[in-house]
Amino acid sequence: MRAVKVEHMLSTDIITHVGLNHYLVLSALLFVTGMAGVLIRRNVIVLMMSIELMLNAVNISFVAFSKYLDKLDGQVLVFFVMTIAAAEAAVGLAIAVSIFKRYKEVNIRFFEHLKG
Amino acid sequence: MNHTILMSILILSPFIGFLINGFRYKKHNYMVAGSIATAAVFISFISAVLLVADVLGMPAENRRILVSFFEWVGVGNLKVDAAFVVDQISAIMILIITGVGSLIHLFSISYMHHDKGVAKYFAYLNLFIFNMLLLVLGSNLLVMFVGWEGVGLCSYLLIGFWFTDKEKAAAGMKAFITNRVGDAAFLLGMFILFLTFGTLNFAELNALAPTTAEASWLGAVTLGTLFLFIGATGKSAQIPLYVWLPDAMAGPTPVSALIHAATMVTAGVYMIVRLNPLFVMAPNTMAVIAIIGAATAVMAATIGMTQWDIKKVLAYSTVSQLGYMFLACGVGAFGAAMFHLMTHAFFKALMFLGSGSVIHAMHEEQDIRKMGGLKKYMPITHFTFVLGWLAIIGMPPFAGFFSKDEILWQSFSSPYGHPALWAAGALGATLTAFYMTRLMALTFWGQSRVPKNTHPHESDAMMTIPLIVLGILSVIGGWIGIPHVIGEVFGDIPNVWEHWLHPLIREIPIQSEGHHDASLEWTFMAISVGLAAVSAIVAFQMYVRKPGSSEKVADALGPVYKAIYHKYFVDEAYFGVIINPLVRFSRNLWFYVDVNFIDKCTYWVSDVVKGGGSLVRSMQTGNMQQYAMYIGIGLVFVLSILLMR
Amino acid sequence: MTADSFLFWLLAAVTLVSGLSVVLVSNPIYSALCLAMSMVGISALFATLGAYFIAGVQMIVYAGAVLVLFVMVLMLFDLKTELATFSRGKISGLIKIATVGTLAGFLAGAFSMSIEFMEKPATKTVVAEAGVDMSRNLGTLLFTKYILGFEALGILLLVIAIGVVGLARSKGGTHAKH
Repeated sequence: MRAVKVEHMLSTDIITHVGLNHYLVLSALLFVTGMAGVLIRRNVIVLMMSIELMLNAVNISFVAFSKYLDKLDGQVLVFFVMTIAAAEAAVGLAIAVSIFKRYKEVNIRFFEHLKG
Repeated sequence: MNHTILMSILILSPFIGFLINGFRYKKHNYMVAGSIATAAVFISFISAVLLVADVLGMPAENRRILVSFFEWVGVGNLKVDAAFVVDQISAIMILIITGVGSLIHLFSISYMHHDKGVAKYFAYLNLFIFNMLLLVLGSNLLVMFVGWEGVGLCSYLLIGFWFTDKEKAAAGMKAFITNRVGDAAFLLGMFILFLTFGTLNFAELNALAPTTAEASWLGAVTLGTLFLFIGATGKSAQIPLYVWLPDAMAGPTPVSALIHAATMVTAGVYMIVRLNPLFVMAPNTMAVIAIIGAATAVMAATIGMTQWDIKKVLAYSTVSQLGYMFLACGVGAFGAAMFHLMTHAFFKALMFLGSGSVIHAMHEEQDIRKMGGLKKYMPITHFTFVLGWLAIIGMPPFAGFFSKDEILWQSFSSPYGHPALWAAGALGATLTAFYMTRLMALTFWGQSRVPKNTHPHESDAMMTIPLIVLGILSVIGGWIGIPHVIGEVFGDIPNVWEHWLHPLIREIPIQSEGHHDASLEWTFMAISVGLAAVSAIVAFQMYVRKPGSSEKVADALGPVYKAIYHKYFVDEAYFGVIINPLVRFSRNLWFYVDVNFIDKCTYWVSDVVKGGGSLVRSMQTGNMQQYAMYIGIGLVFVLSILLMR
Repeated sequence: MTADSFLFWLLAAVTLVSGLSVVLVSNPIYSALCLAMSMVGISALFATLGAYFIAGVQMIVYAGAVLVLFVMVLMLFDLKTELATFSRGKISGLIKIATVGTLAGFLAGAFSMSIEFMEKPATKTVVAEAGVDMSRNLGTLLFTKYILGFEALGILLLVIAIGVVGLARSKGGTHAKH
């Protein structure tokens, strides 16, 4: 990547010179979006998809670090995260299916049994 | 025998009697209960005699047996031992308590034979003897106070013995509460003395007494002794705390004899005589004591002249005679006070027991208007009562003459004395003769007004023997203290009493104006005997020879008579001024402070807790997303703190 | 603007918009499709970062398996009634958005402020065979340094497989009486 430095305008430097910071901020924004989804959406399945989004955001940040620190360990961790995310999605979906079979509902608002 | 063992037996024997009868309190066998109790007191009497015999053998300067059992209190400067001392004063007291006490116990066996709670009664009597012994034997103010409170308790228990009758129970409460007011003053006196002298031990206090008389009203010794005296007015029924004693007649008659004639009410006098070096050095207190004593003597005598209940007459007589003892203390004649204490114990106990015999014979009738002419039905009772009567009105050579005369003489001639005090005492003596003769006349002499179906009869031996013994003592009891002026006439008979008590009595530090003439003493003696005789004859005329004349006199006096008959409305005044406002105040406090405020505070606390709980519980909605939101908020919070660094 | 940065910005925009759509779109199937789009974007981002192997794995595992699973389950649910999309309660919703926004701000701010400590200038140029080399190195690393985790993952997957079958099975499964 060739960095084009424009001395007198710092702002364009941020746009043209894409560094670690950009990837990290992107990762943060994706993570936060996923978190918002967890807090707001009512459908259980969409909830779990938001969780997947959060995990992906973390993956981005791992890979970004791996690139900029010149170590491959970040990518190995991505490997792990991906596996676990997949496993967790599987289990979560199995539970969701069981709940749907029992209650015929996937609206999370109907499962407030912990109230009180 | 070993002094410790004797002292232990002396004190503990009645206590063991109390325990035995206490555990048996439901039994009805009056012989067993009574025998146990009487035996317990009699054993104490034997120990007392032995101890006193030992004390007699000691040299005059150091006549005391001190037995210290253990150190009771050892806190900071306060060191108090559970120690008991038999010296000249307490020797007299323990003989009176256990001796007269045994006789009264014996009398009670027959008197209470039909009562259901007879074992309880004897248990209480023994407990009383125990506490009284603690009181007189204690070597310091604190042990004395234990006994002081204990006899107050027993007095309450025994006065309200038939507590199912509301009035009797109320009389018991009145006694206890009035005593308690006095006890508060007693405590204050103890505090002041301890603060000033650093000790509560009698020997040490008396040694530390100042050598010059304290002139100020606010001096430590004056204040301390004044408060102690107020405590004594509660226990010994002087103005202003005498109101409980007439009501105390609600208890069984032997109780009145023991507690309210011979022993408990004399505790105040005893206490003052014990601490006489301190009192002597506080002339203001002495003046107060003398004036109150004289006033009480006269006032109670006037009330006694109007009462119709045989026991109430004797009760007011007791209050009056106690007034004499305090008068003697107030002028510094402590020996005379103790002397009168002893003779009064004899003849007053005799008369109370005699009245018990009469009441028993009259089937619980106590109104003397319904008696009369009992002389022929109850000869022994009558004869012993006559001995008591002659003693109390001060006829020589009976016991009362010597003791009362000594008091009257000292109230005039002592450096703290005053002719006005003598005049009051003489007036009291005249009134005493009047009302006692009135009592005799209405009860034993003259026409019989006994209702037709009551057949009075003489009491059995268990009742008459104590009467006889006390009668003899009323006759000879005074010969132990024959004053010098008489003694010299009859060939140098010593005043045994004065010599016995001499080392313990502090000399009054005022220069007396000069040695009083012996003839002056004779004159006063003659005056008092003469006045008493005249008064007795007048009473005899009014009640025996001319019945009905007393009503005319009472009508002539009109409102004066009414005031005296209603005891000067003192009880009503106390109720109106002190007691009812206090009860109202307490009730208001209860209602407004306790129910409305304090209870509401506790409810408020519980409400706050419940509200807080509800508030927190509202967070548990079961809504998982809300929980996740809380996690998010917490995360933001922690991050913000971390990033602030 | 260089090609790399242009690529980054394009891919970042696509990913972000897709991510937002996942959260904001009502129909869950559309949500799933947006998620797929988002994952493709992420995979491309991995590629711009030089992690070619991971990019491939991301496509295969996530977009290929996990998402398909999601879509299958969604279709199983055959929802006739339309649910309300978002949770009730405007105030709590507001708090949630505010929280999330604050968090984003914090993270972005934190990264920006501490970037000097993190970045080393990239000195290596991109080589064509870098991908193969990197895969080999990745594999070596996985089988030497992280072997324990790797094996544990295997066991985890086994357990998950068994568990999922047990969970989803009801008394009748597809033969259940309703």
